[in-house]
Amino acid sequence: MSGRAAGRVSALAAKPEVQPYLDAFVLPEGEPFWLWREREESLARFAEEGFPSRKNESWRSIDLEPLAKNPLFPLAEAPQALAAAGAFQGALLARLEEARVEKKGLLFVLRDGRFDPALSSQGELPEGVRLGSISAAARSETLLRPRLKAPSGPFAALNAAFFRDGFFLEIAPGTILDQPIEIVHLVAAAASLSLHTRSLVLLGEESRATLCESFIGEGRYWRNDRVDIALAPSAELSRFLILEEGENAIHFDETEAVLGEAARFSSCAILLRGRTLRQETNVISEGRGARSVLNAAALLSGRQEANIVSAVEHHAAEGETRELVKIAASGRAHGAFQGRITVHPGAQKVDAHQLSQNLLLSPRAAVDAKPELEIFADDVKCSHGAAVGDLDEAQIFYCRSRGLPQREARGLLIEAFLRDVLAEATTPLARHLSSRLSRRLATLEEEP
Amino acid sequence: MGLPLLAVEDLHASLADGREILRGINLRVHEGEVHAIMGPNGSGKSTLAAVLAGREGYRVEAGRVFYRGRDLLSMAPEERAAEGLFLAFQYPVEIPGVNNMVFLRAALNAQRRRHGESEIDAGEFLRAVKKKLALLDMDEALLHRALNAGFSGGEKKRNEILQMAILEPRLAVLDEVDSGLDIDALKAVAKGVESLRAPDRAIVLITHYERLLEQLAPDHVHVLNAGRIVESGGRELAAELERHGYAFLGEGT
Amino acid sequence: MTLPLDSRETVRFLAEEGYKYGFVTEIEAESAPPGLGEETVRFISGKKGEPSWLLEWRLSALAAWRQMTPPNWAKLRLAPIDYQAISYYSAPKQKTAPQSLDEVDPELLRTYEKLGIPLKEREVLAGVAVDAVFDSVSVATTFKEELAKLGIIFCSIGEAVREHPDLVRRYLGSVVPQGDNFFAALNSAVFSDGTFAYIPPGVRCPLELSTYFRINAAKTGQFERTLIVADKGAAVSYLEGCTAPQRDENQLHAAVVELVAEEDAAIKYSTVQNWYPGDAEGKGGIYNFVTKRGHCRGARSKISWTQVETGSAITWKYPSCILEGDRSIGEFYSVAITNNCQQADTGTKMIHIGKETRSTILAKGISAGRGQNTYRGLVRVLPRAEGARNHTRCDSLLIGDRCGAHTVPYIETRNPSARVEHEATTGKISEDQLFYCRQRGLGEEDALSLIVNGFCKEVLKELPMEFAVEAQKLLAVSLEGSVG
Repeated sequence: MSGRAAGRVSALAAKPEVQPYLDAFVLPEGEPFWLWREREESLARFAEEGFPSRKNESWRSIDLEPLAKNPLFPLAEAPQALAAAGAFQGALLARLEEARVEKKGLLFVLRDGRFDPALSSQGELPEGVRLGSISAAARSETLLRPRLKAPSGPFAALNAAFFRDGFFLEIAPGTILDQPIEIVHLVAAAASLSLHTRSLVLLGEESRATLCESFIGEGRYWRNDRVDIALAPSAELSRFLILEEGENAIHFDETEAVLGEAARFSSCAILLRGRTLRQETNVISEGRGARSVLNAAALLSGRQEANIVSAVEHHAAEGETRELVKIAASGRAHGAFQGRITVHPGAQKVDAHQLSQNLLLSPRAAVDAKPELEIFADDVKCSHGAAVGDLDEAQIFYCRSRGLPQREARGLLIEAFLRDVLAEATTPLARHLSSRLSRRLATLEEEP
Repeated sequence: MGLPLLAVEDLHASLADGREILRGINLRVHEGEVHAIMGPNGSGKSTLAAVLAGREGYRVEAGRVFYRGRDLLSMAPEERAAEGLFLAFQYPVEIPGVNNMVFLRAALNAQRRRHGESEIDAGEFLRAVKKKLALLDMDEALLHRALNAGFSGGEKKRNEILQMAILEPRLAVLDEVDSGLDIDALKAVAKGVESLRAPDRAIVLITHYERLLEQLAPDHVHVLNAGRIVESGGRELAAELERHGYAFLGEGT
Repeated sequence: MTLPLDSRETVRFLAEEGYKYGFVTEIEAESAPPGLGEETVRFISGKKGEPSWLLEWRLSALAAWRQMTPPNWAKLRLAPIDYQAISYYSAPKQKTAPQSLDEVDPELLRTYEKLGIPLKEREVLAGVAVDAVFDSVSVATTFKEELAKLGIIFCSIGEAVREHPDLVRRYLGSVVPQGDNFFAALNSAVFSDGTFAYIPPGVRCPLELSTYFRINAAKTGQFERTLIVADKGAAVSYLEGCTAPQRDENQLHAAVVELVAEEDAAIKYSTVQNWYPGDAEGKGGIYNFVTKRGHCRGARSKISWTQVETGSAITWKYPSCILEGDRSIGEFYSVAITNNCQQADTGTKMIHIGKETRSTILAKGISAGRGQNTYRGLVRVLPRAEGARNHTRCDSLLIGDRCGAHTVPYIETRNPSARVEHEATTGKISEDQLFYCRQRGLGEEDALSLIVNGFCKEVLKELPMEFAVEAQKLLAVSLEGSVG
């Protein structure tokens, strides 16, 4: 066994869903004392808060009951090297290939929540780029201490208590990176487990980078990830997330991005596979003139549930936010969007727009939308819109009158509807994301 | 004369709310012919086009329609398209997000698949489209925009004719393809339609102006009023309507 | 759009006078001692000579209320309310119920005259029948006999309990059950009066029905209950106005309004709410926690809410429509102004249950001073609501940089054939428009009220004529002091 149990926290009388995690908690060997302290504090916070209740509006549309009843624990030991021989692993390796944007690009693979150097291909890192394991970095650098503070929120706290690894990306000031950095989060363990990956992205002044994260896996597991991003003045980060988790997987991820003056953050999440998906992005616009683009699309079927959550806090003047969220739900799927844009006092001349568009494709599917504006400054231009409906009959008929069968016509229209969110992607990325979308759409068409 | 391409027999159709629009249409169209159907607003012209193409929202109360010997009314819209029936829409539908060229190719391939033909290769397709563009005097940029989205009235109509040129139908029903066009656009559209006249293809023009007919010289002209064809004749009928208007129709019905 | 000349004069007049309805009527009143318990409920019920079923009904509401906690999800900041410090009953002292207006205390009649609400029938504007509620009880209802000829019942709810117990029993609590929410439960336990209207099948009420609510006594809550039933094919338009004296402490108003529209019936409910908003520093003012809900029970029925909310320190209300009948229609038109330290969290709920039900929401929020204004609205489409349609538009206007405007829509759709659309904008009042008006010679406040009236026009035009004029004036008054 590695690590030692934390006596201080487990003595607390805890809520029933919390206790198993308190019992399973160990402090990893070899970590600096400050990190142990953060872990213990985080665990205490989680113990105090417990799972979010249904009264908690931001968790209202997700059923946490199954998770509360059947706790999923993180791997105590580092996983063995992946044997290429098994059919299960072979299929996963094929999916890893599919997840690549460019065959020769930088690839960083986290397998079962831990950096896997054998699957990764980092080659020569370009100058000014640092990419590695967060766990390794935290052991050697106290500079990371303020960046790895215990975050708020029960699941973020659970993540902070249990994380074993994650990626650490640091781009030096002035470095411009054209090629996307690819991160693949792969779950290959045969047993049910939970993963709590914690990652950190730091961009120096006037640097620019693109990050593409893919989530793939098979089986039943619970991913509970946290990413902290800090953009120095005039830095630019484009981030793409593709969720293609296992059919029975639960995926929660939460990102907090802090934007300096004139920094630009664009995020695009595509939610495709996984039983329960919750993707949360929070932006804190601290510097004057910071811009954020938050796009997301979900294509759901069967009994999938997906929740896209965002909050943008404008603390400084002249900020800009553009948010476009599209959900298409068929079968008995349930999609929900909750987005809030807050303009704090003094943050004048903020220009923010939110748009939530949703397609209900079957009689038993459900969609909820809650776009929210919270404005405390007067000289602003803020607006939002939301719409829910089925595909347009006139468009379907037009396609059919030109010879497209009903299914193909619907597929074409659904894809066109969702692809809008890719506006920020460069050509190779857009092509890659589009092909993932088409692939998912094809499986949707096969469903009854 | 052989079997007609299209035979409409005593067709009665009404809207979902029960209002009867077509009250017994009879029409025979043979290969190689160009027919014009004229008539005042509300006479049922567009309903006839919609029923032929299989649009939802109309109820056929009585009558039959044979197309190439088959029962047209029992076919799905895409089946009718694959069998060579093409409707140029009076109001072409805007589909944001769907690239014009991608759509056209998808439509062509869907039809080819139905006939057991292989899909067309991208290069061959592009060459074919470019040839037709020149014919229609169309801006190539339109190909790369979303389908009809933000197109001007004239651009939309030209795009309909472009689709027709690529899909090469056996029977083309053009619903007010001339409405809302300036004279140059009208000429381009007419030229496009004219070029598609062929011995094995029939065209049904629905219009209430004569100006398109001047350019296209139909073989037969029918006057539709209150859901019935009240008069049929040759080109001279169109000229007469232009001179006297539709007012005289009131008497016969 | 033009602003009537007299409203500009009103602005000037009020600049000197402040809240025009802030006077206190010196009248002998009979009040219950502060506090809430079973004995309070029995006291109120006994005072009103109620049947035992109604007492039981109240007591079960009280029991439910005791188990509940005040809602905390609204964007409102307020000190906890001490429900035991409030008096739940105050009535102008009068030996016997007045048989005609001549028997009503002349001091009371003068109060309504000052408020501009004529109760003397000969002075009443043609076309408006008024029920006046003073503190907890109804003091006068006009035009009763004329209405009775058509079979229309229009009276205080206390009288309705006595005269039409079957009707009241059938409908009371059928739209807003006793335990619906904290404030509705409180109201159900202690309501003292309010208005009842019943429009029989096929009758279109020829007069606008109107209730004027007035809180007078200190340390008193007002808990009126309104019940309006439009039977098959009936139609009615109902107006509600409210004022209260200027007092330093906060007073609680927790009303319940229930509307029932049977097949093919239509109810139009208009409110101009001008309770005392507190002073510029946020001292005093009415806490307005109101539950208003309409039930479109029958096919093709229609309920339309229009509200102009200018008063109260705190407003918490969501006039809603349950669209159960196929092809029924719900509408919500709202203007809410918050100035100084006022806070409003208001909006609507449209619950689409029946087929081809339709709803329209149009909300205009204006924030000035340190006012906080939240639109909160729910549109829910249930699986059976084939072909349902909703369109929502919310616009917020900010005047000054210390106020807030918030928009929180909830959209829940369970039917693919439904179409739901929501759009909202937030922005400051246009400097260009202000300058343009001033360049043409309008004073700053006139220019402001002109622009605000224009901003609200689509809502104001939904109000009946008499109310529209009053509402325009109120908008101007409410914004006073927010520029310059």
